[in-house]
Formats: sequence, structure tokens, C-alpha cells
Amino acid sequence: MNGRAGNFCFARFLKMNKVLCFLLSFFFALPLHAAEISDVAQSKAWLALVHYQKTLFGGEKGIIGSENFYLSPEGRHNPEAELEATIALFEGDDEEKQCLFPARYLFLKKQGFLETDFPHCVEYEQFQTDLQPSGITFLFTDAFMNNSSSLFGHTLLRVDTKRKGTQLLAHGVNYGAFTKGYENSFLYAIYGLTGMYPGGLTTKPYYDVINTYNNIENRDIWEYQLDLTQEELDFFVAHIWEIGQTQTPYYFFTQNCSYMLMELFDAVRPSLNLRADFPVQTIPLDTIKAVGAREGFVRQTNYRPSRRRKIKHRLSQMSKMQRQALYEALQTENWAMNALSDDEKADVLETAYQYVQYQYIAEDIDLKAYRRKSFGLLKARNQTRAGQKFATLKEGKDPMFAHDSAVVTFGLGTQNGDVFEQISLRPAYHSLTDNPFGYLPGAAINFLNLTIRHQDRHDRYYLQKLDILQLASFSPIDTLFQAPTYRIDLNVSRELKPETLDPYYALNGSVSGGGTLALSEPLWLYALSSVDGAYGGVLARHQWGGVGLALGVLYTGEHVSAQAEVKKIFATSTPGNKLIYQVLFDYHISRNTALEANFQYVQYEHGKNITEPILSLKKFF
Amino acid sequence: MKKILSASLVFGAALALSAPAHAIDSTGCGLGSMAWRGQSGIIPQVAAVTTNATFGSQTFGITFGTSGCDPNGRVTGGTQKMILAFMENNLEQFAIDAAAGEGETLTTLAGIMNMDEKTVAEKAYRNFAVLFPSENVDAVDVTLKFYEIMKA
Repeated sequence: MNGRAGNFCFARFLKMNKVLCFLLSFFFALPLHAAEISDVAQSKAWLALVHYQKTLFGGEKGIIGSENFYLSPEGRHNPEAELEATIALFEGDDEEKQCLFPARYLFLKKQGFLETDFPHCVEYEQFQTDLQPSGITFLFTDAFMNNSSSLFGHTLLRVDTKRKGTQLLAHGVNYGAFTKGYENSFLYAIYGLTGMYPGGLTTKPYYDVINTYNNIENRDIWEYQLDLTQEELDFFVAHIWEIGQTQTPYYFFTQNCSYMLMELFDAVRPSLNLRADFPVQTIPLDTIKAVGAREGFVRQTNYRPSRRRKIKHRLSQMSKMQRQALYEALQTENWAMNALSDDEKADVLETAYQYVQYQYIAEDIDLKAYRRKSFGLLKARNQTRAGQKFATLKEGKDPMFAHDSAVVTFGLGTQNGDVFEQISLRPAYHSLTDNPFGYLPGAAINFLNLTIRHQDRHDRYYLQKLDILQLASFSPIDTLFQAPTYRIDLNVSRELKPETLDPYYALNGSVSGGGTLALSEPLWLYALSSVDGAYGGVLARHQWGGVGLALGVLYTGEHVSAQAEVKKIFATSTPGNKLIYQVLFDYHISRNTALEANFQYVQYEHGKNITEPILSLKKFF
Repeated sequence: MKKILSASLVFGAALALSAPAHAIDSTGCGLGSMAWRGQSGIIPQVAAVTTNATFGSQTFGITFGTSGCDPNGRVTGGTQKMILAFMENNLEQFAIDAAAGEGETLTTLAGIMNMDEKTVAEKAYRNFAVLFPSENVDAVDVTLKFYEIMKA
């Protein structure tokens, strides 16, 4: 208590006579609030509002980077001193500084620590006037395979607006790194991982958010509207303003775009305790699941499909004649389509228009062609009066209900007759044959899948494989869309010398590119050519390099996924020269459980072949 | 615990991935938006924009980024400024909605102008050729005409 009184005065040292201060603290401050202040300073709500984290030694440390976020000189490590300094701020007359902390003011007022009014703050009031908040929506955008920083998707907020019109006039609130000037430097990655970039909140109109994600990057947006009280909403907006004035070191895997949003939610409703779910790494998809798991927190879910998905949905509703007319018109730029009725034609014209926009962004057509086609279509559409039109796509596979991002696999198998058991742990994220619900179709992202094997015959444990990185993006080619298919693999694995079957470790790398064809919606055929290589002590000259060809089929159904592939590698030395047959079959028992059968047969040009069937149980968590 | 275990593995993957941070794109706003400040009425606004040779107006084409936005990245200002900023960023979507006489951009504009949605949609549809006389239109032309048509 005495300590508290001391701090109380320290914060006001400049404004009060020392003796007076000493007396005052005994006179009213101490008996009135002393016990309360230390309680409140250690309350979940205050710790979340100033973004303290427990340190290893049991203390507290504020994570916000900007020094001016802490009002007390010891505020970063002392929640109580910070609380006292905040009370002092609002009892003082530094209005400019008071305007930076509207959420702290609301908090203190509610706790009964303040009698004063919040000052008149021009900029903060303008912020509220522009936003006209009516709610908060949590946004998830799915993976973007063309940018390594977006492989895991992205999360941001929307401050919904009560402006008349639509939510296009609402605001996206994004937490991200300020990387200006370093985008093309190799330091970019290093900086992103080591917290060298400052991170901060920015706002932009929601129509800009839609244009960026839906229309330019062709990513779906999921909107989870949160169930907040009016008081919580006011507090949220005030706190966005507060944090908007600060910067914090940005870490790609830990304190990233998604993590800071968890911090914001906790500050507004401390009982959520979302931060506890993410002690180290924060994967965006995991954060929407965590939010979904807080009962009653999400009021409503809305889906905004990407432009490409909208075009595909329109195509799926077209008659054969409409589709034919669409393909022809896109070729000939003759938009008359006399064979179609006005109703049929309107939908085809609008689809063609969206497709031309898509083409321009994909740089398939230049600005001149883009304008000519767009205007031809606009005029034709304007001259067509339509009644009945295609349904818009409103339903999707909600990623909130997708499988969890980490998986442990228990396997039982044989290698040329030798029985083994193995366990694998993969921290993230999704394989082509995992339950596809809620994930980007045809995309695989795997990190650090570690497999430890126990061989029965010699009763020995060893590292079987470490998949450092596996990336794949399979995208069927059709008349309108021609995205390439690619695959990248990097692993360390325990191999057997074909001549003697002696084990050795090698670092293997492979980069493949090719195309995919959809035979039906769930069944795809693909062909890839690759550059392959390995490095290992026992190999001739410690390495081999080669080129490969692969042909495979991929089936992704609701309950069953399967992949069969044959790959031939032509390499500079024996172990590289091989023919690999692989079949994977996954049965999805539930969202987070699957059975997998894996069969691999490797045929070498010289030496013994390797046969390896494995049966596994996969548990996602 | 399991998350921590997997986390330590993820951390190692960091180096393998060479993953850049989630970049916030340029906060720059094109179109001399600064020039609008302190001016009222659409004519001075438009004049400020069209005489600004450095930037030029947003012609028909997809806007990458935040051309014509408020420097703070907000929906702000009076009706005319909001419409112009909206047109700058949504011109090609507005064009198809106007040509079809329905759509989200028309609902939004009706909201900004505090007008009936159906009236706005019908007027835009009937006056499409006035709004978009050629493929060289820019957002300022469209905004001016849109304003005239809606006030008529």
C-alpha cells in the first residue's frame, strides 16, 4: 500500500508539492482506492488493455513497441505504475496526450477512478465521424499461392458502418508490417522473421479491401460478424484508435497480423482469453477457429467469393448454348449473340465482362483490348433488358470448420519386408490428400513434417525423414482459366543404397511445373516436369542432379481423397536414376481424423528395388 | 504444450521458407487528393483534379491500390467527395452495374446521395450512354455526369 502511495505521487511529482502530495496520499487517495488500484492493475482487463504478457520470470512486459504508449517511465514492466500514471494523465490537463488514450479513459471511468470528462479531440472525433461504427466483423481471406507471405491466408477487421448504403463504405482495419523500400531486398525475409519491420494498424475503405482480395488477388473473403454490446463496440473503436497511434515489431510467425487481432479482442472482452491459444506461432486459420470456439462471439457468417469463383459459379449455371456463345464472343468480340434470348444473354454478357476484368489483371490482355472489350460488353448489356438472372454464390465451405492445422500420424509399415512403426509430426498445414473442406482446392503447404521410425528387426529408432518444405498448387486448365501447376519439395531423408541396401542420409530438392486437367469436378489428371537433385555423403561426388517427368491423378472427395503418381528421374548417377510409383489413399473419418494407406515402389536402374507400404492413423489438432 | 512443441518446429521452417512479412501496401493516394481539401462544391474539386497534370484522373481501368483515397484511408468528406473517391476506386464495377441497372455499387451510391435505390438504378441504366460515352472516360467525367443525372 505504501508502495502504491509512493508511485501515485511519483507520477504527479512535477505537478504537486512533495509534502502536499505525501499528505494527500494519506488523506484520501490511500484509504479510498489503494487496495482497489493494485487489484485493478493486476486484473485481466487492465493487463489486456495495455497488452502485457507474462515473462518467464513471472513479471509483466508490455508488447507494444512505441515508448510513448507507456505513460509511466516504468510502465512497460509495471502495470500498477502505468495505471496510476494513466489516472494522473486524465486528472491533469495535457489534452493532446489524453486524446491518444480514449479506451483507457473509458476503462478508468467505468472503474470509478475518474470524475473528469474526456476532452474534445478533433482528430479522434473525425475518426468516429468517418467510420460511423455499427459493429465489428472479423475477416479471413484464403490462401494466395503466388505470394509466400500469404500462403496461410490473412485476417483483418472490418469496422461496420451505419452509413446509408452498403458495407462497401465500412472500413477494413489491417495489422501489418511497414516494409516500404525493402520489398525486393533479400533482407525482406530476414527482417520479417526477426521483427525488424515495425507493425501497425491501418484503415482503408472496405471497397478497397474487396478490390484487393476478391478482384485483384482472386481470394475469397469470409466475414464473421461479432456479437458485441454497444459498450464493447465503443470500447473497441476507441482501442483501435489507441493502438493505431503505435508501432510494434512485426514477426511473421508469432506477433503477426492475426496475433495482434487476438490482443485487440482480449482487450475488449478479457474473458475471451484468445491470446492463451497462441503462445508461440499464430496461423490465421487457427485464429478464426479460436474465435469460432468462443461461444456466442460470432453472430453471423457471410461469404464473399473471389471474382474467379464467381465466374466459375456463373459458368456452372449456363446452358450449353450460353457457354458456346460466351466462348465465341470472347474470341470474335461480336457481342450480339442472336441465338440467345435477352434473359440468357444478360448473364452471358455480365460473365464475359467479369472475365475481361480478370484477364486484364492477369495481364492476358493489354489496356487497349481491355477497354475495347469492356465497352463493347457494357453497351451490349445496357441494350439488353433482363428479368430472370443467375443466382449469386452465397454458400461456401466455411474455413472455420476445416481440419486443424497440426497433425500427428501413427504409421505401421514394411520396407522390403522389414516391419517398422513410425510417428510423424507436422506443425502445419495441409496436404493434397487431407480433408479438403475449407482449404483452397489443389493447394498444399507443409512445413517440417518430422518422421521418426522404429525398425523391429534391429530394434532401432532413427530419423526417417524431415520434410522441410512442401508446396503445391494444382489448378485445372480449362477454356477460360490457365493457371500453371507447380510443386516444390525440400527434405532430408534416410535412403537405402540400391546396391547394398545400406542406409544413408541425403538432402533432396525438387522443383516441378506443369499442368492439370479436371476430368470431373473431384478427379484431376496432372503432368509435371521437374528438376531434381540430392546431396549426401555417400553419393558419388556427394551429389546427383537430374530431370524428371511425373504423371498422376488426384481425387478429392468429401470422405475420400487419393493420389496416384508415377515419376521417372533421369539423373547423373545411380541412386538418382529411378522410377517411383506412389499411391496415397485417405479416408476422412471426421474433420480431424483420417486413415491413410500409402504405397511406394522405387525401381532403380541398377540394384535392388524398394517396396514400402504404410498404414497410418492421422490426428489433426 | 503440443502447440509449443509444434511451434518450435515452425520457427525452424521460417528460414526454409524465406517468408516475407505481411506487407501493408503503399499508403499513397493518387489524384492530388490533397488539392480537394478546404474546397467546396464539385466544380472546384474537379478543377483541382483535372488541372493536376502530375497525377491525371483515373481513366477506365482497374485501380490497383488506393487512387483517390483519403490520406488516412477513410471514407470521408461530403457527398461529392465521397462519390468521386468511390468512382475512382470502383469505376469498372459501377459501369457494369449501371449498364445492367442493378448492383452493389448503385445501392452504395444511393446511400451516399440519400436517394431511393431503385430511382438511382433506373436513372443510371437509362443514362448509361451519357455516363460512359466512350472508353476514354475518367472518374471525374463520370462523377460529374452522375451528379447531374441524379439531381435532374
